[in-house]
Amino acid sequence: MGPTLDIPLHVKYIQSLGENKDDLVYHLTAHLRMNAVYWGLVALCVMGHKDALDRDEMIEYVMSCWDDDVGAFGAHPDHDAHLLSTLCAIQILTIQDALERVDTARVAKYILSLQQPSGVFAGDSFGEVDTRFLCCAVLALSLIGHLHELDVEKTVGYIRRCRNFDGGFGAQEGAESHAAQVFVCVAALAVLDRLDELDEDMLGWWLAERQLPNGGLNGRPEKLEDVCYSFWVLSALSIMNKIPWINDEKLTQFILSAQDLEHGGIADRPGDQPDVFHTNFGVAGLSLLGYPGLEDLDPVYCMPASVIEAKGLRKGWKALPRRASA
Amino acid sequence: MHGVKQVRYSSEALAAKRERERAKLAEYQSLTAKVLAKKGESVWTPESFALTTKLLHVNPEFYTVWNYRRNILLNGLFPERPPAEINDLLSDDLSLTTAFLKQHPKVYWIWNHRQWCLQQVPDGPTEAEPHGWRQAYWNKELFVVERMLDADPRNFHAWNYRRYILKEMPVKRTAQSELTYTKRKIEANFSNFSAWHQRSKVLSSLWAAGKLDKIKSSEEEFDLVKNAMYTDPNDQSVWIYHRWLIGPGDDQAVVEREIASIQELLDEQPDSKWCMESLVFYKRLLLRRYGDHMPDERRQELGSECLELLAKLQEIDPDRRRRYDDLGAF
Repeated sequence: MGPTLDIPLHVKYIQSLGENKDDLVYHLTAHLRMNAVYWGLVALCVMGHKDALDRDEMIEYVMSCWDDDVGAFGAHPDHDAHLLSTLCAIQILTIQDALERVDTARVAKYILSLQQPSGVFAGDSFGEVDTRFLCCAVLALSLIGHLHELDVEKTVGYIRRCRNFDGGFGAQEGAESHAAQVFVCVAALAVLDRLDELDEDMLGWWLAERQLPNGGLNGRPEKLEDVCYSFWVLSALSIMNKIPWINDEKLTQFILSAQDLEHGGIADRPGDQPDVFHTNFGVAGLSLLGYPGLEDLDPVYCMPASVIEAKGLRKGWKALPRRASA
Repeated sequence: MHGVKQVRYSSEALAAKRERERAKLAEYQSLTAKVLAKKGESVWTPESFALTTKLLHVNPEFYTVWNYRRNILLNGLFPERPPAEINDLLSDDLSLTTAFLKQHPKVYWIWNHRQWCLQQVPDGPTEAEPHGWRQAYWNKELFVVERMLDADPRNFHAWNYRRYILKEMPVKRTAQSELTYTKRKIEANFSNFSAWHQRSKVLSSLWAAGKLDKIKSSEEEFDLVKNAMYTDPNDQSVWIYHRWLIGPGDDQAVVEREIASIQELLDEQPDSKWCMESLVFYKRLLLRRYGDHMPDERRQELGSECLELLAKLQEIDPDRRRRYDDLGAF
């Protein structure tokens, strides 16, 4: 019998993240701060401790990252707006029930302005394109109630061109299938009600083959297992109602063994340094696997299922039933 | 963060670490404040440019500073400069990013800045040769990306960048040369799915353009794959590529032949999950595509062979038993 999920320890870990202002790495990762706050918040929500971080402080932090030149959010005060941080900001404010603080029409305009003629989205005005940004755009527009302004055919057309023969998706047209890109394309298709674009048998097979003998999941053939794929792979499987195609017990044990049971947090694999990114995706994966004592997570948005349901945005995904005990 | 081993510090060691970092941190914060202040005031001078260089050396993931650097180039340094000097500035930035990529081969922002630099290259050196500078850069880019792929043959940033270069270079390389490149990577390591993937894209494009005879070329690919399969039947890359080659199964004789070939391998390696998984897939493909024209006996035979294989798969690959179960329920 392996370790169980030490919720109080991980809650303390997340609470401690912003505390040490002397930590060099903390400052070197300011460009990811908005993302980090979102990862921390979702992990807390799933563990049932949403209030462990102060709501008002968090909202003020998000608003301090508003880039008024452009009408969107950066990762940190005075950092430029970007689609990645804009989505995280919207997700945080939605969970905190504070969306009214945002000029959502302006944000919608910013997001739509980033769509390229090919249908993909750029991350910002400097033009890097990636299906990740397409997903950010679709999720954000949906959360702020502006999805109807999107050219769906154009968007779906690009996703279709990224589909590979193995059923998976890459970052751009022609790119190799990668589990994270699979998630972003499948999630976007789910929101747009275009799951008909998937070859579910082929993709389900490719995703199931991500499970390694140690129970962990990798992101591509012959790569190492990593806890974050517990989310990317698992969420795509749950959207296709195929979580049973992998061994849930072994994956659960793998995630739990990647916990840092001394200082808290979850790492990419056992023995490595934990971080809030892997803590979030580890806990998210456990929730989808039915681990007892956790809240339901919506795999399309990677947000609490109750929040997404309340907004009427829930799609037909299926997680494993929540077990009564470990 | 990925692949960072846990380090346990004693409280003394931790205090010492914090002390060492305190000076670095103070410097970093002061530099950041300076750069962001100048950015806020739209200062586009060579001095502010040098400050961004300094800051990016410490933190090449600071995307806002890359943005500022680009704006300095566009609004401050490029205007009023002759094309040759603009070219030099871009050349310096490309060298800078090459150095950064050696330490940080998977940072999106660095790859992106490279791409941006290439897009800014002016016409030159002369009116008669407007693509001269561009072509020189693009050739060099291919060289840089090849070094990156030698260091990490699965680096998808590098593969994506490679595809970008091949698509955008003013004077295109031949698709044939890319086929040769992928073959080299595959022969260096059959496990390199990124190379197999690239090969499938190049071949698809050559076949679609009618530049290569699909049937003859597929046969060569089946030979290549068979060799790889026999060398390491456990490598999934090869089996995924084989599934692509078979595709929708347009040529029934080819599908039947490959089934026979895989069966031979299975006879030698009776626990080969990939042989069994592939046989199930291809037999089901035969049934779907050609079942209606088959004698009943053959159809039933294929069906029961699949069930037998699926039962074996449940035993040797129990993690995925539900999938084999679901497949059996057809």
